[in-house]
Amino acid sequence: MPRVKRGMTSHRRHKKILALTKGHRASKHSLIRRASESMAKSLYYAYVHRRERKGDMRRLWILRINAASRAQGLKYGQFMNYLRESGIDINRKMLADMAVREPEAFSSLVTTAKEKVQA
Amino acid sequence: MKTYSTKPADIERQWHVIDASDKILGRLATQIASLLMGKHKPIFTPHLDTGDYVVVINAEKVRVTGNKAKQKLYYRHTGYPGGLKSVTLEKLMETHPTRALEHAVKGMLPHTRLGNSMRKKLKVYAGDTHPHVAQTNITQP
Repeated sequence: MPRVKRGMTSHRRHKKILALTKGHRASKHSLIRRASESMAKSLYYAYVHRRERKGDMRRLWILRINAASRAQGLKYGQFMNYLRESGIDINRKMLADMAVREPEAFSSLVTTAKEKVQA
Repeated sequence: MKTYSTKPADIERQWHVIDASDKILGRLATQIASLLMGKHKPIFTPHLDTGDYVVVINAEKVRVTGNKAKQKLYYRHTGYPGGLKSVTLEKLMETHPTRALEHAVKGMLPHTRLGNSMRKKLKVYAGDTHPHVAQTNITQP
């Protein structure tokens, strides 16, 4: 029977961890103890922030809609209220996209919403 | 379909000229800060500086409400023990007429490198003239 030397499995495990912590600062990408702590943290942060991203995007859409509708003389809250009352059902993602890519369509949306509510 | 993400090449920067005479310090500073950050544009993107340039004239004539001219203190530390100095707004306006407004705007911008680059787009002048007359894309007050 051939002689078995130790270290093979742990070396493979270490290699996997060090591959995941590439680019981390200081000793966190080279020393296995620091790297395994760093890997655990980074995977956890990635998991949490993937969930947080949904809210982050919604915040950004609202900010953009607000910027575009304020240019038309309506605050964000008023604009959304007018849209709801006039039965226009477009989500925030599309509204924000219209504000950037189709400014004319967005401004006509603001005027129709205004007219429908005030009529 | 992905949310629009601004590229640095897509950013068009305007120049705004604002007359500060008889405006309230803090209320003016919020307006300036949002122009510098680009919060008034639908292309606003948090990791980029999408803001405009702001030129403020007549900064020495900016007002505050109440007794703040006599009571509001600006602090600095010299680095030596007991070196905390303070100066009232009134005194500060005499010696450095643009500094109060710059300080107020600085406090309203992000305290990051991005915030520093936003702050560099603010040009404050005590008098009613400014040297940026050669700029195209500029609005008059």
